[in-house]
Amino acid sequence: MSKSLLIKLGLLVLAFALIPALLVGFDKGYYYQIATIAAIFMLLAASLHLVTGVAGLLHLGHAALYGVGAYVAAILGANHGIGFTLGLPLAGLSAAAIAFLVALPTMRLMSIYFAVATLGIGQMLYLVFLNWVGLTNGPNGVMLFSGINLFGLEIDSDLGIYYVVAGIVAISILVLNRLSHSYYGNALRSLREDDQCASAMGINVTVMKIQAFVISAFFAGIAGALWAYTTGYISPNDFHFSQSILILTMVVVGGLGSLPGVLIGALLLILLPEALRSVGDIRNIIVGVLMFSAILFLPKGLFGEVSALNFARRVLGQGWAAKKGEKGIGWK
Amino acid sequence: MKLTRRTALLLAAATALTPVAAFAQDSVKLGYQLPLTGNTAQYGQDFKDAAEIALTKFNASGALPVPVEIIYEDSRSDAKEGVTIARKFVDDKEIVGVLGDFTSTVSMAAAQVYKKAGMVQLSQTASHPDFAKISKWQFRNITTQDQEGAVNAQWMMDKGIKKVAVIAEQTDWGQSVAKGFVEPFEAAGGEVVYTEFFNRGLADFRSIITKLEDQAPDAVYTGFFYEDGAQFLKQMAQLDAEIPIYSTSAAYNDQLIELAGEAAEGLLLTATFLPTRMDANVQDFVTEWDKTHDHAPGQFPAQAYDAVNIMLAAVVKAYPDLTRESLRDAVAATSDFPGVTGNTTFDENGEPLKELTKASVVGGVFVEVE
Repeated sequence: MSKSLLIKLGLLVLAFALIPALLVGFDKGYYYQIATIAAIFMLLAASLHLVTGVAGLLHLGHAALYGVGAYVAAILGANHGIGFTLGLPLAGLSAAAIAFLVALPTMRLMSIYFAVATLGIGQMLYLVFLNWVGLTNGPNGVMLFSGINLFGLEIDSDLGIYYVVAGIVAISILVLNRLSHSYYGNALRSLREDDQCASAMGINVTVMKIQAFVISAFFAGIAGALWAYTTGYISPNDFHFSQSILILTMVVVGGLGSLPGVLIGALLLILLPEALRSVGDIRNIIVGVLMFSAILFLPKGLFGEVSALNFARRVLGQGWAAKKGEKGIGWK
Repeated sequence: MKLTRRTALLLAAATALTPVAAFAQDSVKLGYQLPLTGNTAQYGQDFKDAAEIALTKFNASGALPVPVEIIYEDSRSDAKEGVTIARKFVDDKEIVGVLGDFTSTVSMAAAQVYKKAGMVQLSQTASHPDFAKISKWQFRNITTQDQEGAVNAQWMMDKGIKKVAVIAEQTDWGQSVAKGFVEPFEAAGGEVVYTEFFNRGLADFRSIITKLEDQAPDAVYTGFFYEDGAQFLKQMAQLDAEIPIYSTSAAYNDQLIELAGEAAEGLLLTATFLPTRMDANVQDFVTEWDKTHDHAPGQFPAQAYDAVNIMLAAVVKAYPDLTRESLRDAVAATSDFPGVTGNTTFDENGEPLKELTKASVVGGVFVEVE
């Protein structure tokens, strides 16, 4: 059995056998909750990774697109009887559609101007959640009573919900992984390194940026729907600017441009504050100090891009290597 | 570590004492979720202080043969953390009831967990109109804006005020302030000439005040907390807008007067708690509070103090047959509970029915009027 298959199988066994076994063993709702939130934020970090890590666009409004997904899923579920099966893709598509609309005028902006534009978009969407009382119920938030109903199957056990969330997150991360470790991902990386050079090589810079932004928003929307369905109540505060910064921090601490890195970053920033609960009010200070030290001593992240790419090359390289009598594709 | 004779003796002593200690620690456990860090930490810290005063007094009173213990968990006013804490409390089979959270949104996200698991949740401040309606497990110890709005509407009617402008913050609470007042006021024949919601932390109210003055109302009804309230009052004074201002118990806070100074004079509001009231309960609480604080307790810590006492009284009622179910029924049966925020009775929805005091700022202090 090849090494790449072993790693993939290992991760699958971890996510779908070992962690559930531990959860069942402990039988604590608390651990289920942390596992669910960690999975949702891993997806958020992985989707931001495509825009900020790979394509190098500083995106400060990711939580708002996450909010669009959550609101679409919750409003469809609560007021229009559209359940999880249809609500989930619709949430992703709505977030992607909004991202497409805002991307059209902003994608020609460079560096810091783009960052400020996304900051503005994030605030605008947040204010829409807060002030469009007729649609979003404003600050009162939306309560979603219907549980997760997947193709007619009612899922209400803690373990079932974990499997649904982990399954959707795993598939999404798989897609994001293939996107960022491929010719497509390399083209996005070339935008980050030098977009004029990339343009001269025949890459349509603006179209590529819009694509990355829209795909990332789609997965943020999916994460939003998962949050709405697992919590049962959403309000504008869940999608505040501070959440965008939290997701961005996961990406930076984990490693800009490194998918395994951002997943580790997300896990760390969700698990650490919980693990430190017993130390009391100074836990946030400890998290801050650790983050600061991580950036100071590991500026490339906990699992930097170079290691991530080497890792991906080893894993994917076998699939792409030249077979007998054929021309090889990929990295080599 | 080398096993010397002394450590061996110590170990032996510790082993011998353990079962005794475990037995002595047999206690009733309650959970309290509240923001102890983050940008609403000042409220959470006050709740914790108030709860500790109530708990110390209770445990010293010997009303129960075992002590009651409160486990505090920091939610940072973040729904993610609030839900996680709720799951944690539900897991702990020894916890029979929960207090908190501070904001409505976190309380409501956590409420979904308590509803499913069947645990009584009593919030001292969650003011969202639907909070207590979520299930039979939710209660709150804050007067609803339907109650405060009706009292204010009647108060204005009694003074012959017919045209009112309504200014409230853009939160679930602010919305309920406007709705709670406008409905009874219009039903009584009054007219609302202008309504505006502002986002919390607004620095400049001048454009709102100018628009408000254009409508020439007889009075302004406001829904704000002390920070925004002080800004609003100061700017009203700067623009010489001499219109009587009515407000809710949320504005009741000494810091409002500190921040607004002269501009706070003449503010009219409804309140449930006045630290100056000559009532044994109130004075007990204020005396204890003053030992550790250099400012008088506001409305919110007083509500937290009462919420904890209501929960403790329910524990006594349900003891020794204390379960989550029996504690919930005992809380629901609370009737005429004498607290620092007036007497409390829960209606069938878990809403507190309280008497409201009318107050005004005179000479830099809140005083009861009439």
